[in-house]
Amino acid sequence: MQRYAFILAGGAGTRLCLLSEKRAKPAVPFAGKYRIIDFTLSNCVNSGIYDIGVLTQYRPTSLNQHIGTGRPWDLDRSHGGVQVLQPSLGSNESEWYRGTADAIHQNLIHLRRRRMDAVLVLSGDHVYKMDYNVLYAFHAANGASATVAVTEVPEDAVSSFGILETDSGGRVVGFEEKPQRSRSRLASMGVYLFDRDSLIRWLVEDAARDDSSHDFGKDLIPRLVARGEPLYAYRFPAYWQDVGTLDSYYDANLAFTSPTPPLDLADPDWVIHTTSADRPPVRFERGGRSSHSLIANGCCIAGTVERSVLFPGVNVSPGAVVRDSIVMNDSYVGRDAVLDHAVVDKQVLVGAGARLGHGDRGVPNRACPEHLSSGLLVVGKGARLPEGITIGRNARIGAGVGGADFTTDVPDGGVVDGRQTMH
Amino acid sequence: MRRVMALVLAGGGSEALSVLTAERAVSAVPFGGKYRVIDFALSNCCHSEVERVAVFTQHHPTSLHDHIGSGRPWDLDRRSGGVLLLQPYLARHHTGWYRGTADAIAQNWDVIEEQGPERVLVMSGDHVYRMDYRQLLLTHTRGRGPVTLSMARVAPDQSRRFGMLSVDGSGRVLTLDEKPATTDATLASMGLYVFETGVLAQALRAGPVDLVHDVLRPMLEAGERVQTHEFTDYWEDVGAVGPYYRANHELLQHTPRLVLHDPRWPVLTRDEERPPVVVGDGAVIDQSLVANGCRVSGTVMRSVLFPGVTVEPGAEVRDSIVMQDVRVESQARVDHAIIDKHARVTRGARVGDGPVPRGAEHAWLEGLTLVGKDAVIPEGARVGRAAVVGIGASPDEVGEQVEPGAVIASRAWYEDVV
Repeated sequence: MQRYAFILAGGAGTRLCLLSEKRAKPAVPFAGKYRIIDFTLSNCVNSGIYDIGVLTQYRPTSLNQHIGTGRPWDLDRSHGGVQVLQPSLGSNESEWYRGTADAIHQNLIHLRRRRMDAVLVLSGDHVYKMDYNVLYAFHAANGASATVAVTEVPEDAVSSFGILETDSGGRVVGFEEKPQRSRSRLASMGVYLFDRDSLIRWLVEDAARDDSSHDFGKDLIPRLVARGEPLYAYRFPAYWQDVGTLDSYYDANLAFTSPTPPLDLADPDWVIHTTSADRPPVRFERGGRSSHSLIANGCCIAGTVERSVLFPGVNVSPGAVVRDSIVMNDSYVGRDAVLDHAVVDKQVLVGAGARLGHGDRGVPNRACPEHLSSGLLVVGKGARLPEGITIGRNARIGAGVGGADFTTDVPDGGVVDGRQTMH
Repeated sequence: MRRVMALVLAGGGSEALSVLTAERAVSAVPFGGKYRVIDFALSNCCHSEVERVAVFTQHHPTSLHDHIGSGRPWDLDRRSGGVLLLQPYLARHHTGWYRGTADAIAQNWDVIEEQGPERVLVMSGDHVYRMDYRQLLLTHTRGRGPVTLSMARVAPDQSRRFGMLSVDGSGRVLTLDEKPATTDATLASMGLYVFETGVLAQALRAGPVDLVHDVLRPMLEAGERVQTHEFTDYWEDVGAVGPYYRANHELLQHTPRLVLHDPRWPVLTRDEERPPVVVGDGAVIDQSLVANGCRVSGTVMRSVLFPGVTVEPGAEVRDSIVMQDVRVESQARVDHAIIDKHARVTRGARVGDGPVPRGAEHAWLEGLTLVGKDAVIPEGARVGRAAVVGIGASPDEVGEQVEPGAVIASRAWYEDVV
């Protein structure tokens, strides 16, 4: 059976703060060596789907580099494989993608010669392991025009998702995008299986409407439900995580340090593939200590690491302590430095004796209080933190800042944004 | 470097590595927590811009062939050149098996000549070192001789493992003494040679078997100018238990002489996709290399752990090398041991227990205990120092106690089935 999947990977992930400032949300590093999109790409190939278009728009560079020819997923193929679909010029409709439905609409050409019954539309933003064959079987058994995968979310989380209501047969009878409250707790996972010809018809129709923002969740799905199209909800019974906010990102990462992680990343029958750099095994030096952590190849641990996630090539110097933190590729923690509840992006240099995450968690960040108020502090890619500096909780240190940008310690909720912008 | 072709000799299955090479070539033995020995030679080729490589295999080649594949990790998957795997084959005029190093090359000379190299770089796949072969080729060019061999200084007690050289002030070889019990010479031949292609072709016409005995020695005796190139960095032939163990341990030094991740000269390998190391509560890991896919909740000291090793709570691994997917269960202890892939040290068992046995017959193990692939050490069992547990040994075969220096035979993997 010929199968094709679109993966929507253009999201800006605004609520992830600095982590998605210079990369799309699907390209955000996750669980010590992966990027978020690896889960969706691996689900595809593990389900036997080897023909994929990845739609990008926001800051696609790191995603393009990551996917490359698709080799880690065996997607470097003569027939099918993976293609990155950036907005392009040349046809009547071409412009920036206005919404998720518009993004697929502008790429309908890719379905022209693909004569399959159903088309998979996925989001590259989520962490989960799913066999899409089950979804195909469910879709066929119901004779659905579209099937939406759903997962049960807590009552107080319904306002973050598209919430579906179903009848006893699983048919969708109601849909609300991000409702304040709802009787149903079934959230759309951003995983859709569409009848091919119906999808084409619907998208062409939607594109012509002026009253549409051309989004699956906001426009298309509610309209189809209201119209009584045969849409079915497939209830996914396992772990699924939208790592949309900095807090949920942090919690989801830390969950993988547990002896019973939410997903088995070591399952030989469902390998999560990624683009790994060739790095030597983790080096535990004399006197180093570590516990309850996830530590990737290429790290060198001479200090203390507790309840943390360390990506490849992180160096923890003697006397340094990394606690309840996430530290990304090739960052260097100098002697006697302390990191507490810090999320540190790639290639950050933490000077000797620096103290990160020292202070009162009650002071939200001055620049983005809505995203940074739980006590985490964020350091952007390539920042260089001076020796001995103290950085408070909920602080935000911009990418690439260096010694001259720091005139004093950074207070709780403080912001350092580079040259001459000290708030 | 289009005019240079590397010939990597990787067909040997050293007896001296016992169960570790019973089912693989020395070149395919896992090393350094994620590599195989041949990765060093292949990475050196890659970084030295040697783009034509032939690998000669004979002894249990499967794991080596799987590992090398199309040569992609070393960028040797090329349309022109790249890596060739050369296995013995049958033909009307010869018997097939490689009788020796020179014979292996001779049997494939047509394939080598087809690539049109002006010089061939002959090397062993059994050595760990990082070397820029361009330096050796430069020495060869300057010396204008027919052949240049690379040499390294070794400790006096190691001379019986190597061809020992004496050279004159210009670096020309005076004598080559193969594996002498005692000698004043401290320079060993690294088994790494540059030949002018025509010179080697000529020599191979005489039907030589061994490259040293039948090619180099006659050249020396005939008064040909054999030049040397001294290599001064770390170099080790890991074809014996002691040297293999020590080379792995070298990596654990504070400033190792063998660096694995120099960004300008990374050691490349075929990587497995495994999650990061999971360090559990109560883990103690000190002076060790631990690869992705490991789960450690016990104690690991001065050891090398390959991908997928599990060390359960209360278990201890000390001064050992533990290969892929081995399970060391709770309260088990592994001390001065080399444990091959997929073996299992069951609850409370001890591997490398008690005193080191005396006697010359155990000397080759240097006090280390070897456990073969897939062997199962039963619950609470004691396996003494310098014992060898065969590949696939069952709990019944191992029993409660394996005396120091004892040997448990290997069993075929299908014995349970037939």
